[in-house]
Amino acid sequence: MNGNSFFQIYFDCDLKSKDQVYDFISEIAGQHSSSQQKLAIFHQFKEREKAGSPQIEEHVLLPHIESEHIIESQILFFRLAKPICWDDTIEDIRLIITILLKKDEEEAIKKKITLFTKSLANEGYLDRLLNIEEKSVFHKEIITFREESR
Amino acid sequence: MKIVGVAACTVGIAHTYIAQEKLENAGKKAGHEISIETQGTIGTENKLTPQQIQEADIIILAADVKISGRDRFEGKRIIQVATEIAVKSPNKLIEKAEEVVKQKQ
Repeated sequence: MNGNSFFQIYFDCDLKSKDQVYDFISEIAGQHSSSQQKLAIFHQFKEREKAGSPQIEEHVLLPHIESEHIIESQILFFRLAKPICWDDTIEDIRLIITILLKKDEEEAIKKKITLFTKSLANEGYLDRLLNIEEKSVFHKEIITFREESR
Repeated sequence: MKIVGVAACTVGIAHTYIAQEKLENAGKKAGHEISIETQGTIGTENKLTPQQIQEADIIILAADVKISGRDRFEGKRIIQVATEIAVKSPNKLIEKAEEVVKQKQ
């Protein structure tokens, strides 16, 4: 794992299924919480999918929730070691960007997140995040965004 | 062609803003004048003016939730889709808007 506390980067990540991904995210999001709260986060992600697909581009997912169980808002990047099948309709996923939004988060943090999500409309940016082969370059790409958004 | 619209999603932090960017980029690329209002977790941004709405040939509502001020578009030609459509297929959505406006003429 690398990055500051707001952006967390997991490169060459060995997660193989939706449940593994959500389980891992729940552990990160609820690291100071009870197992019940972690489970609640896990289920919130599953519920969110019922409202709409998390896929935003070929090979890319953007699962995100707002929750009272999240202590700190964060954006997590998972560049998977191998492409995974997400479900019956979503396959060949290589990059998962997760937004964890704390309930009643302050306006400045929300604005920072929305600024970041706007950048995901840029196909060139997503292509770079998908295809960068070195961990250090991937970090640099995220850091560049972070610096620009200050 | 003049296009205006609203983007709004469930959490209001992600799809809303990607949909806005993608629709505006696709619309401009196709040579249209386009402005998309966002109704998200930070409130309403890029709010449409009555003049923009009046002059619009078509309204695109990319929303997963009930939007505020829908009555502003009464009497206008409206395309309503989930934000997912605007995020995944913005060019096709603009093409659809072009078709609808052509049919109207």
